Parts: sequence; structure tokens; C-alpha cells
Amino acid sequence: MSSAMTGQWQEAMALDDLWEGEMEGVEIGGKKVLLVNVDGEIRAYENRCPHQAWALDEGDFDGREITCVRHMWVFDALEGHGVNPDNCRLSGFPCRVSEDGMILVDVG
Amino acid sequence: MSGQRCVLVGGGVAAASAASHLRGRGFDGEILLVGEEPDPPYERPPLSKGFLAGSTDFGELHARQPGWYAEQEIELRLGVRAESIDPVARSVTLSSGELLAYDALVLATGLRPRSLPGFDGERVHYLRTAADARRLHAELARSQRLVVLGAGFVGCEVAATAAGLGKQVTVFEPAGTPLERALGSAIGAVLTEIHREHGVEVRAGEYVSSLVHTGDGLLLTTNLGHRVECDLVLVSVGSEPNVELAAQAGLATGNGILVDEYGRTTAPGVYAIGDVAAQYHPVYRGRIRVEHHDNAVRQGANVAATLTDADEGHADTYWFWSDQYEHSLQAAGRPHDLSALVIRGSLEERSFSAFSLVGDRIRGVISLNRPADVLAVRRLLFEPHQVSAEQLRDESVPLKRLVPRTRGAAARV
Ligand SMILES: Cc1cc2nc3c(=O)[nH]c(=O)nc-3n(C[C@H](O)[C@H](O)[C@H](O)COP(=O)(O)OP(=O)(O)OC[C@H]3O[C@@H](n4cnc5c(N)ncnc54)[C@H](O)[C@@H]3O)c2cc1C
Ligand code: FES
Repeated sequence: MSSAMTGQWQEAMALDDLWEGEMEGVEIGGKKVLLVNVDGEIRAYENRCPHQAWALDEGDFDGREITCVRHMWVFDALEGHGVNPDNCRLSGFPCRVSEDGMILVDVG
Repeated sequence: MSGQRCVLVGGGVAAASAASHLRGRGFDGEILLVGEEPDPPYERPPLSKGFLAGSTDFGELHARQPGWYAEQEIELRLGVRAESIDPVARSVTLSSGELLAYDALVLATGLRPRSLPGFDGERVHYLRTAADARRLHAELARSQRLVVLGAGFVGCEVAATAAGLGKQVTVFEPAGTPLERALGSAIGAVLTEIHREHGVEVRAGEYVSSLVHTGDGLLLTTNLGHRVECDLVLVSVGSEPNVELAAQAGLATGNGILVDEYGRTTAPGVYAIGDVAAQYHPVYRGRIRVEHHDNAVRQGANVAATLTDADEGHADTYWFWSDQYEHSLQAAGRPHDLSALVIRGSLEERSFSAFSLVGDRIRGVISLNRPADVLAVRRLLFEPHQVSAEQLRDESVPLKRLVPRTRGAAARV
């Protein structure tokens, strides 16, 4: 994760609403955030493509990789690094799932 | 190919991609990248868009960060031309006089804009390199009236960028509409409207036949006898693949350097990729030369696979984009007949995908402002699928659903 943790956890959505293999764009504390469920692991990224800032939730997630719809850059959903091209990465936010099943994100 | 030397000629994204995938696949021999331009490989698409507008810095265009080459032990020879190849001795002679031996040679020499005889001088521009774009940017800043000769992608994008900078822009296109050859006349007409709404004068069916430098500008005369004054001219009337190096060495060339589906030329150990390569495509059963970014990057990756002994030919779907004004144009595949496209969405509302069907299969798609359609179709193109024109027109049928569930297992056709 590229962002430092500030310990300010905010509720993003219920884990039940984000199935494995799904991604969803949400707004948290004024920030556009992309939530992805990769085989049960949740990740939160800035919902902007590092190429030209297109919203990533308009693209495609095949369970493993996220493809930006604008110029088809591809990212590894679990690690956030670029697959094609491989010299970029998504910027991530710390995230976790609370005991009552809420996805919590720290947007700093 | 362990311990051997691979020389890449041409410092564009195709060469950068080949170098990076060679290392990514564990190639541990020497890699040398010889490029005529002074800069390490950079992205050309922004040259007609953000970089020309002044909103994107050159630093953002690097295909790889400059330090990356040293980290990966890729030796850059920049500002140097490859002058000749000896395919028997397996060596390349550089303009510096140096002779480089190779085990594998990858030609990625790209294109140059086609020049128009008699169209030259200070106020006449071509656009292919960062140097061209810098010069055009600087002169646009001092000018008010730009004339673009040829409404292909580069011409249309420059027109859009210059109009966005508040310039008075006129585009001449000898064909019926802009981008007709690539997109057909119906979509060409939509783009013409878009350009006109942004204040660009589009003169289709007319071309500039002569040019005279006056004291403070240019005087153009068209085939219809009209006269037009302007400050700057951009000539964007197509391009020519840089095949000379290959041709002089006796490699088979035609419209590009001829290669098979592995990227191999007719000389052992010599490969060609990117805009310069006319590659055999097993699905389309013919040689295809593509002048788009994604293809260059993929062929770079493919040749790296070939060189590291992956035993597979390559059959890419073709995909490209062109951003003009706020509009996003994308296409995938090879349309069969541009006059028989099936439209999903609305041309008037500028949100559509135009499908080319052969029987009940999609051959290609061109989309305006519906990039998700292109993404879905790109996945579908080489998979078995069955679709009717009615289904494509019906927006309640999701394109994604047309993809067979057992993706990957099915045979290619
Ligand atoms: C203005 C512009 C806008 C574009 N916009 C888009 C777009 O929106 N979407 C899209 O898909 N594509 C776009 N493209 C096309 C895309 O940039 C090309 O497809 C891509 O650059 C091809 O890469 P390449 O490596 O094959 O060749 P190139 O990028 O042409 O690189 C070839 C390099 O080889 C060098 N060279 C040639 N001969 C020699 C020699 N003998 N010795 C040493 N070096 C040599 C050249 O100087 C050049 O640097 C655009 C192109 C331009 C010019
Ligand atoms: S904006 Fe995402 S790939 Fe270009």
C-alpha cells in the first residue's frame, strides 16, 4: 500500500455486497475509492487510472486483473502493480474488514 | 538464447517492450538498444494531444524511467543510426562506425510521415517525433491559422488540439470524409460534425495542390482553385515504413518488413516488430501491418517469447484508440466491410459501437464513447461466439454475455 495509515477507518460498504471477483467504485471522505474482492481478499485503491486518471470501476475485473477501459492498461488487483505496462502501480489505501462484516478504508 | 547478444534497432515502444519482456522472461544475455533519436523510448500518442497542448511534460512520456535501462542491464545507444546489416556475418554497422555482432537482431524502425514534394520550409510541419512536436508546439504559440493536410488520425488529433488552443484550423481531406479509410463514411461524418462544432473547418473532397511562402505566412491553392492563407501547415498524408535497412540486407519487404507469426523475417536470427512489421496473421490469413501503439507493444512481447523459446505463434486482436476533444474513439479487430456496420447506440448522440459482422461472428468494432463495448468485444473476437445483428442492436443484451463460459478452453478459429 502506498498511503500511510492514519488509523481513521471509515465504513465503505458491507462485505456481503462485494462478491468475490467484483469491484465497486465508492466515495469515502470525499475520495473516490475502488474496492475489489480478489478471492476473498479485499483491496482499496484510488479509483483513478495512473495513466490518465480515468475511473477504474468503468473498466473490467476478471477476478485477478483490472483493465482500465480507456487505454486498456492492466493491473494486478491483489498487489496493485501494473501488468501492462509493468512500470506503474495503483495507489492503494489501507483497508480491512470489521467483525460485523463492514469494509473499512483509511483514506488518510 | 542464454549468454547471447540481442540487438534491438529502433528506439520506440516496440523495442522497449521487447527489451523489457526479454528480461522479464529471464533472458540473461546482452541487450543493446540502438535508436536514432536522442531520447530513450517514449510514448508517441501524446505528441498530438497533451504534449502538443502543453499540458503533458516530456518526462511523463518515457516508456520506462531512464534509470530502468541500467538496472536491467540494457545498453542504450541513442542518437545513433543502424546503417547496414550483414545477415551472414550477423552484424550491424552503426553511423558511429561501430560494428555490432548479434545473435538475434530485432528491427523496430517504425515509420516516417509521407512527405509531399514541394511542401517544405519553416512553416511546414510533419509530426512523428518529440522534436517535431516541440517545434510544432512552439510555432503554434506564435500562430493563429493552421491548415492540416490529410484527415487521418494524426491530422484529426492535431486539429482537435489546435482548436482547443484557440487556433483557427482548416482540414483538407481529399476523400469524402475524415478518417474514411479507417472508419468508413458514416463514422467519418460523425467526426466531421464534432470537428465543425469545435470550430474546425473541414473541407472534404478537396486538397491543396500548391504552396507559396509569402512574407509572413503561406498561400495555399487547392485543386478546386481556392486560395487559403495561413501561418502553418501540418502535412499528415500517411506514412511509410522504414524498411530500407532490411531491404538493403536482402530481407523480404513489401508494405513493411515481412514476418511470419513468430516475428521472423526471411533472414535467420532477424526479426521485425511494431509499425514497420507486416506480420502474418493466422486468423486473418494474411500479412497485416498495423500503425498502432498496442500492436507495437504486443509484438515486442511476442518476439521476446519467440527468442526465449516459447513455441507459439502470435495472433493478436488489434486494438487502438484516438482521443479527440472530449471524445474517446476506440476500435478492435479488423472490420470486414465498413459500409455494412451494425450500430448499437446512437450516432447522433455520439455514443455508439459499430460492429462488423461476417456471418454470425463479430470481425471488428469501432466505438465512440463506449469503451466498455470494445473491452468486451476484444475478449470475444477470437473466441467461438454466435451473434445476430438484432442482438447487437439491442442494448438490453449485454455484450459480456456473448462470451462463452469456458473461456480459454475453446479452440481458436
Ligand atoms: C502523433 C502520433 C499520435 C499517435 N496516437 C496514437 C493513438 O492515439 N493510439 C494508438 O494506438 N497509436 C497512436 N500512435 C501510433 C503509435 O505511436 C505507434 O504505433 C508506435 O509508436 C509504434 O512504435 P514502434 O516502436 O513500432 O515505432 P516508432 O515509435 O516509430 O519507433 C521507431 C524508432 O526507430 C528509430 N529508427 C528508425 N530507423 C532507425 C535506424 N536505422 N537506426 C536506429 N533507429 C532507427 C526511429 O527514429 C524511431 O525512434 C500515434 C503516433 C503518432 C506519431
Ligand atoms: S486512463 Fe487508464 S489506460 Fe489510459
